[in-house]
Amino acid sequence: MNRREAVTRVAWMLGGVFSAPTLQAMNRWEQIAMSGTPRSQIGAFLNETQHAIMARVADLIIPHTDTVGALDVGVPDFIEIMLRDCYKKPAQDLFLAGLGDLDQKGFLTLSPDQQIATLTKIEAEAQKSTNPSFWQLIKEQTLLGYFTSEGGIKASFDYQPIPGKFEAIKIKPGQKDFMYGNQA
Amino acid sequence: MNLNIQAEKDQTYDAIVVGSGMTGGWAAKELAEKGLKVLVLERGYELKHVEDYKTAFKDPWEFEHRGKISNVAAEEHYATMYFSAKEGSQYLYTNDKENPYIQKRPFNWIRAYHTGGKSLLWGKHTYRWNQEDFLANAKQGLGVEWPIGYNELVPWYNYVEKFVGISGQAEGLAVLPDSNFLPPMAMTAPEIHLKKSVAQKLNRPITIGRVAHLTKPGPQHTAVGRATCQFRNRCSRGCPFGAYFSSLAATLPAARQTNRVTMVHNAIVKEIILDDKAQKAKGVRVIDQNTMEVREFYAKVIFLNAGTIGSTSILMNSKSARFPNGLGNDSDQLGRNLMDHHLAIGARADIEGFENDYFFGARPGSLYIPRFRNWGNDKRSYLRGFGYQGGASRADYSRGATEPGFGADFKKKMTQPGPWKINLSGFGEVLPNPNNRFTLSEDQKDKWGLPQIVFDADFGENELAMRKDIMNDGAEMLEAAGFKNVVAYDNPVAHMGLGIHEMGTARMGKDPKTSILNKFNQVHTCKNVFVTDGSAMASSSNVNPSLTYMALTARAANHAVEQLKARNL
Repeated sequence: MNRREAVTRVAWMLGGVFSAPTLQAMNRWEQIAMSGTPRSQIGAFLNETQHAIMARVADLIIPHTDTVGALDVGVPDFIEIMLRDCYKKPAQDLFLAGLGDLDQKGFLTLSPDQQIATLTKIEAEAQKSTNPSFWQLIKEQTLLGYFTSEGGIKASFDYQPIPGKFEAIKIKPGQKDFMYGNQA
Repeated sequence: MNLNIQAEKDQTYDAIVVGSGMTGGWAAKELAEKGLKVLVLERGYELKHVEDYKTAFKDPWEFEHRGKISNVAAEEHYATMYFSAKEGSQYLYTNDKENPYIQKRPFNWIRAYHTGGKSLLWGKHTYRWNQEDFLANAKQGLGVEWPIGYNELVPWYNYVEKFVGISGQAEGLAVLPDSNFLPPMAMTAPEIHLKKSVAQKLNRPITIGRVAHLTKPGPQHTAVGRATCQFRNRCSRGCPFGAYFSSLAATLPAARQTNRVTMVHNAIVKEIILDDKAQKAKGVRVIDQNTMEVREFYAKVIFLNAGTIGSTSILMNSKSARFPNGLGNDSDQLGRNLMDHHLAIGARADIEGFENDYFFGARPGSLYIPRFRNWGNDKRSYLRGFGYQGGASRADYSRGATEPGFGADFKKKMTQPGPWKINLSGFGEVLPNPNNRFTLSEDQKDKWGLPQIVFDADFGENELAMRKDIMNDGAEMLEAAGFKNVVAYDNPVAHMGLGIHEMGTARMGKDPKTSILNKFNQVHTCKNVFVTDGSAMASSSNVNPSLTYMALTARAANHAVEQLKARNL
C-alpha cells in the first residue's frame, strides 16, 4: 500500500471533523502506525512486566471511580491485541520503548502519587513535541478500549443503537454524550 | 445436433443483464416489468438482503479491533483502505490481493463482487446533472458532444427518483435541479448559522444533502419491503431496514416480483458472442468463478452493467474478425477518457459557542454546497467546477488522545460532548482526456485467465488549478460564518479511483468515429448491446453520478423493448 495514503487515511475516514492540530497529530501517529512490516500475529505480544506496566498506565488514565475503569473492562488485553494486529513495527517499537523507559524508572514500585507525577511529566514532554509518542499511543488505545467496551459505554454514555430520528436538540451542561455505536 | 439445439434453447432469454449493482438492478427491473424474460449474471457470490448483513446489529464491543482494520486486512484490501478501514464494512469490499491489477499511474480500483455490487458501498448522495453539464463539452470543444441534453433525461430522472426515494429540500436552483423529494434531513445549529452567513455575505446557497434514504416511504418502497431510515448511520455495514437505496433492497426485489428474472451468480462474463454476419450479439460466454466451467447464454439484447471498468473490459475482451480491437471499437475510444471526481480537499474549522446545541440521532448525510465557480458571471482560469459535502458535529471521547489530562476528572469529561467542529470537503469535475485510460495487459492474467487491467490515468492541470479554489473558497465560507482556526487542506492522495466515481471509457456520442455508444446507450456498430453504467459518460460533472446512470438505464431499457417490439433488434 502507498505510504501517502496511510498518512491521511484515518483523518479522511473520520469525516474530517477534527481540528487541525488534532488532525496533524493523528496523521503523524498514522504515519508511524501504518508504516513498516507487520509482525507475526501469533500469541501474546508483551512479556509479563511490560503487560503489567501497560495495565497500570491504562488504570491511571481511566481509573475505577463511581463507574468501572479500564481494568474492569479488559483494556490491557485489548491493547495487546491492537499492538499485535493493528500496529506496524515502528509504532510497536515506540510502544515497547515507552514501556522500557517506565521499567527503568521502576514504575511499578513507585507510589501511586509518584506514578501520577511520572505520567504528568511524560505527558508534558509529549505535548511539547510534534512527533508521535508512546503517551499518545497508549492514551488513544486506552480511550478506544474503554469507551467502546460494553461496560464503558453503558457507564459513560446514553447508548442509542437505534435512534429512529434525527433532530436538533438542546442539552444541559454536563449532560452525558450519546453513543450510536456506528464507528465500526 | 438436436440435443445441442435444445440445450441452446434452454439457455436462451429475451435479455441478459451483466451485473447486479446500481444499474444492473435497474436494467433487470425495467426489462422484466415490460415483459421480457431476463437473465442477470453476477460475477461474485450471492449476498442476501438483510440476512447476510452480518455486522449490521453488532455493538461496538463485539468487534475484535473495535472497528479498526488489522494489518492482515490492510494488505488484502490495499485499494480500498480509505473505505474498508472499518471492521464492520470490510466484508463488502473485494479482496484486492486476490484480484490484482496494474497501475502505470496510481489508481484505486474499488470493487464489490457480490449481489448488489457497489450499490452497497455508495455514499447515497443523489443529484441531477444540470443543463450545462450536458453542454459543456460541445461549448468548450472538449471530448465529444453529448448526444442527449438535460431535457431528454428529465422524464427519466422523474421516473427513477420516485422509486429510489430521495430525501432533500427543493431549492429551485438551475445549477442543482430539484429532484422529487422525500422530507429533508435536519441541519444542526452551526450548520444553519453557516447557511445564513454564506447566503448573506457570499450569496452562495447551501442545502441539506440530497440522499437516497427513505425519510417517509411511499407504497412503491414498502411494496419491495423497504422501511424508514432509523438514523443509525451504520449504512456501510448494509441496511437491514432497506432504508437506503441499493439494488439488493429495491430494484432486484422488484425485478423478481415479475417472475420473469433468473439470476446466476459466480458467473464472470468472458466475452460477448458475436454473430459477425448479422453484426449482432448472440449471447455471452461465462466462466464460473469457482468451478472454472465455461457456459454460454443467449439473448436478443445484452445490457452491460458490470461497472465502468468491468463493462468496458468485456467489450475489449470480445474480439472477432469484424472487431479485432474489441466489440464496437472502430473509433479506438474504448478504455479512453477515464474520469473520476477529485476529492480529499477542502477546509475545516473549530466552532466556538453553541454549547447547549446538540442533535439526537446519527444522520447519514451532510450539507451540500452546489457549484458556484464558472457559473453565471463567474469566470476562472480553469474549466468546470466543484461542490462540497460537509457538516458540523461535536467531538467525541477520542479527542482525549490529544487533549492533556488523565485520571478521574478527565474520564468524566470524556463522557460529555466535546466542542463543535466543521468540515467542508470538495468534489471536483475531471475533464475527459484520451490519454487517461485503461488497457488490457498483454502478459498478466487473473486466475480465470482473463487479462489484468492496466490503469494509466491521473489528474491534469485543470483539476490541479481547480483544487486551489476548493481550498480557498471552503476556508472563505467558514470564515464568513466566524468559525475559528480555519484551515484549508489538500490531502496528498490526489489520484483517480478514490472517488469510486469511475466514468467514461465507452462514451456516448453522435459520431461512431469518435464514440462507442449512441444516444440510447447502444453500441453504434452492434445495436443489441447496451452499456448503461458509468462507462457511457462523455463528461463527469461535479455531482455524484449514480442518479444519472439510473435514468440512462431506465431510458435505454425502454428503448430496447420498443425496438424489440418493432423488430428492429
